[in-house]
Amino acid sequence: MTRKWLRWLPAAAVPAVIAAGALTGSLPASAGDPLPPKTPQQVLELVARHGEPALSGTLEQSSNLGLPELPKTGAGTDASSAAWLELLTGPHTARVYRDGPENARIQVMDRLAERDATRHGNDVWLYNSKDNTAAHARIPADGAGHPGATDATATPDQLAAALLAKIDSSTAVTVGTDVRVAGRAAYNLVLTPKSDATLVASIAVAVDGQTGLPLGVEVKARGQADPAFRVAYTSLTLGAPDASVFNFSPPPGATVKEMTVPAHKQGQDSRHTAPQSKGSAHKPAVTGTGWDSVIEFPAGTAGPASNAAALLQQATVPVQGGRLLSTALVNVLVLDDGRVFAGSVPPERLQTAAAKK
Amino acid sequence: MTGGLLASELGLLFRRRRTWAMLCALAAIPILIAVAVRVSSAVPAGRGPAFLDRITQNGLFVGVTAMVVSVPLFLPLTVGVVAGDTIAGEAGQGTLRYLLVAPAGRIRLLLVKYGGAAVFVVVAPLVVALAGAGIGAALFPVGPVTLLSGDRIGTGEALARLLLIAAYLALSLLGLSAIGLFISTLTDVPVGAMAATVVLSVVSQVLDALPQLDWLHPWLFSHYWLDFGDLLRQPVSWESFAANAVLQGGYVAVFGALAYGRFITKDVLS
Repeated sequence: MTRKWLRWLPAAAVPAVIAAGALTGSLPASAGDPLPPKTPQQVLELVARHGEPALSGTLEQSSNLGLPELPKTGAGTDASSAAWLELLTGPHTARVYRDGPENARIQVMDRLAERDATRHGNDVWLYNSKDNTAAHARIPADGAGHPGATDATATPDQLAAALLAKIDSSTAVTVGTDVRVAGRAAYNLVLTPKSDATLVASIAVAVDGQTGLPLGVEVKARGQADPAFRVAYTSLTLGAPDASVFNFSPPPGATVKEMTVPAHKQGQDSRHTAPQSKGSAHKPAVTGTGWDSVIEFPAGTAGPASNAAALLQQATVPVQGGRLLSTALVNVLVLDDGRVFAGSVPPERLQTAAAKK
Repeated sequence: MTGGLLASELGLLFRRRRTWAMLCALAAIPILIAVAVRVSSAVPAGRGPAFLDRITQNGLFVGVTAMVVSVPLFLPLTVGVVAGDTIAGEAGQGTLRYLLVAPAGRIRLLLVKYGGAAVFVVVAPLVVALAGAGIGAALFPVGPVTLLSGDRIGTGEALARLLLIAAYLALSLLGLSAIGLFISTLTDVPVGAMAATVVLSVVSQVLDALPQLDWLHPWLFSHYWLDFGDLLRQPVSWESFAANAVLQGGYVAVFGALAYGRFITKDVLS
């Protein structure tokens, strides 16, 4: 009988070993402050000085915003219009390549699909493998100012001091215990709103101790243990990636759309210019200060014709006087008369702001 | 000694009419897809299984599409049949007793049986890939292949990637065949072991599709099955390959040990 028990020993030992391995692997590696201590200002200086090194790495993003998540049933496909919106829900992995300000590539790796954004010189390409579509834009040569160009007048320490002075009244800036991101020791710069009314509990930025490169951002919402939004490198290699990575030409058979970038001179990055094209006629009004601000968009800003309207209808719940889109970090109140109130505050504050007008 | 035993096991496995029927059924999947696409009008982009719309431009995608289609059910089905039959089949036929009379020993028999199932696991995706590439080349043009990243590679490299995907799927199914081997030691009814193995593979995939259980997902043996798309990126992303290898290795270790414990202590009466 004892011999029989011995025979089952491997069957008990192997899961035990695996469980032990998984447990030790999941424990946070005690970094134990390997970096020399720095004040928040010094860490910010480090960030301002980092000068965008050439790198290739893998980014992992997860959001826990309370938005409905679509199950990823492998072989299926969905409408392309929601494809970029979908980035806000669920986890994603992306590979990032960068070499200087004019060469960059991001590959968002979906299951059996990929979304690419490539910048090579002044050419910007977006590619979606799911429906085999590509979009091309040329950044106007004069508008493609180097990101450092506007900053050239201010030194990193001046920048850091100015930024600190600006947010000091509303936010406590501290440096927490060092963290390890992508195997690198990093400073943990924590921004905590001083206001109690905002939904944001804290924002933590991991700053690489060696290069000053921001390695990750973690936004925590009030009353939620898991970070509401988290993006961080899981692996990072400094040094120029293979130049062929940045050479993109649309594959034959792909639908190519040509986009024109408005020639105003602030875009160093096409992704940031898009949302600002609208709404110059009716400017949004801001009430409140700092983290409690509520932004009011006048009627007619939210175009009902867009494909997103149906999606919005699904994600919102009816409240008194309109519909509410509620997430862990931001609440958006769409009134029946078309006005839109948004802010990182509880919905009651949005309704009070709406009632005042 | 073990080699000879493995050779005779493989001979037995691949002389079976059932094995050939299953391999033919697997080969029929790409052929059906290719013929259906050929006789119908062009597939609009973004509809149907992944890569279906690329077939008309490049026949090599028949193999990839067929693998996408066969991963959720057809491949686990055939692997479940082979792995579930390993021990229970011999027990059901009453031949297990004679196998153990020979000085082969139970451990060696278990290893040989798993080895046979593992060879089938390698062959099955390979059949899908090669049949797909063959029928695709026959019915459609073949040329440089557009990867998920939008980059293009030559035909030779594309074939290499196709074989790499077949290898990835073979690796992916090793865990399931270890589970099948264990279930097969539990019973003398081979059909029961086969059905249980196939059902487990479906259950695992259903659990993997529920976002509420995301803490469980990295532990499910089917979690990385459809991530072979990572081999179609430029540059190739090896992370899912490595993670999958670790996961499947864990399943082979756990269920191999369980099968050992069960089979060594089992009273073989038939």
